[in-house]
Amino acid sequence: MAFKSFLKNVFFVEILKGLTLTFRHLFARSVTLQYPKEKRILPAGSRGIMSLLRYADGTERCVGCSLCEIACPSNVIKVISAEEEGQPLKRYAKEYTFDVTRCVFCGFCVEACPVDALAMTPVYEYAVYDKRDLFFDKEKLLAMGDRYFPVQAKKPAYIGSCESELFLLTAKSKGYPTKASEDQPLP
Amino acid sequence: MELAMQTLSAVIMIGLVMATVLLHVAYLTYFERKILGHMQDRLGPMEVGYHGLLQPIADGLKLFFKEDIIPTGANKIIFSLAPVLSLVTALIAFAVIPFGTGEVSFFGLKFKPYITDINIGILYILAISSIGAYGVLLGGWASNSKYSLLGGLRSAAQMISYELALGLSLVGVLLLAGSLSVLKIGEAQAGGFWNWYAFSLPFPQIVAFVIYIIAAVAETNRLPFDLPEAESELVAGFFTEYSGMRFAFYFLAEYANMIVVSCIGAVVFFGAWHAPFPFLEFSWPSVGIWHIFWFVGKVYFFLFFFIWIRGTLPRLRYDQLMKLGWKIMLPLALANILITASLAYIVNAYM
Repeated sequence: MAFKSFLKNVFFVEILKGLTLTFRHLFARSVTLQYPKEKRILPAGSRGIMSLLRYADGTERCVGCSLCEIACPSNVIKVISAEEEGQPLKRYAKEYTFDVTRCVFCGFCVEACPVDALAMTPVYEYAVYDKRDLFFDKEKLLAMGDRYFPVQAKKPAYIGSCESELFLLTAKSKGYPTKASEDQPLP
Repeated sequence: MELAMQTLSAVIMIGLVMATVLLHVAYLTYFERKILGHMQDRLGPMEVGYHGLLQPIADGLKLFFKEDIIPTGANKIIFSLAPVLSLVTALIAFAVIPFGTGEVSFFGLKFKPYITDINIGILYILAISSIGAYGVLLGGWASNSKYSLLGGLRSAAQMISYELALGLSLVGVLLLAGSLSVLKIGEAQAGGFWNWYAFSLPFPQIVAFVIYIIAAVAETNRLPFDLPEAESELVAGFFTEYSGMRFAFYFLAEYANMIVVSCIGAVVFFGAWHAPFPFLEFSWPSVGIWHIFWFVGKVYFFLFFFIWIRGTLPRLRYDQLMKLGWKIMLPLALANILITASLAYIVNAYM
């Protein structure tokens, strides 16, 4: 046994093994993405800047309840709600500000929203020359929502949103899939 | 007139060799980064030029225009002299490296693919490369920094320990060739790889060859023996305080030394400019060009091997390094000399 390990040492067996491994990797496909030229395909539900959504008829979904403001762990959202003119009991967000610079993209605001007025866009490249440009007001947030979620009828299904609840209910009625596979994608 | 012509052709040859060597040194850094990158499933430099081909030039320009900083309390003269000493000793060794054979004449000027052939070529290279240790030691001492001083001392200790094994590993071949001239050693290995000194019967110098490769890696302070700089553990070692052009000199010296040890390895053990098989000795367009081709090919094989080793092996501990140098490599090299010498004596006397 000792003689065998001695021979192994003399003929550099372990080192040769290592050398063949690195030589194989010399021709392996590199994992680098040349970032500004090539971009990663983002997974569904990846969270970038938050946005405000509308109903199909163009009216804002937000009712100004401030639950997102409460849910926000870094105090990024500020909601000032007001009563709609001539329609008592119906409220809306008179002002809605969102500071991207301090946002941690946790998505708690989207989960907290009772009317699904919020959604996370996949925007992660938002470098600007003036930091104040990253302080979004309601108009900017609505514009983001219009741009990234143009089809108003179909909303992104987040865990906890009413769409996903609906999906779960229908799934329950049909019976859960027994085995996760590629032809039965998750919501 | 004859003397003037000879001097002119010598000066042109020196300029040509220096330009070639410096270009190869610059591009060696590029190849190293590329090969290491691909071995680690990365791409290496990609931005400057096609696949980063102009990266060495960009790096050189950047270092050239950097601020020239001399730390307070540093010995100014020695601080600026040390990197020059390192680089000059690395480059001056190319004077005796034979890149091929033959002779070309242009306008009455005769050119040979080497600067000069002195009859103590190997000894000259060993002597010159020993002076390189002074560059390291003085640079570390003159920086007025404890990191530099300790790095320089460690570096010098390592270089001196491994120089012994390096020199002794060459002795076996010198015994067989019966000459210290680099050109004569090269000429003795003609006709196929079985005549190269690393494999030639009756006394293959394969043990000496392995010792030479290990000692050469240690001598050039490269991984797995790069304890003096140890990028991931220490500050930069002896050139901690260096920046800009002086840093570039040390950097160039390291890579020029790599090429020097590869050249000596190719000449002494791998048949210099001879093709590995006799049928590969082409004569079109000229014998000399193929000689240079095979020589450069062998040198690049060694250089690739050094980079390959760097991409594979982890760093040794300092006591392991010293133990390997003094307790294993040195006795092995001495035993190799003893066996080669006595066998050569017996064979010559009785056969």
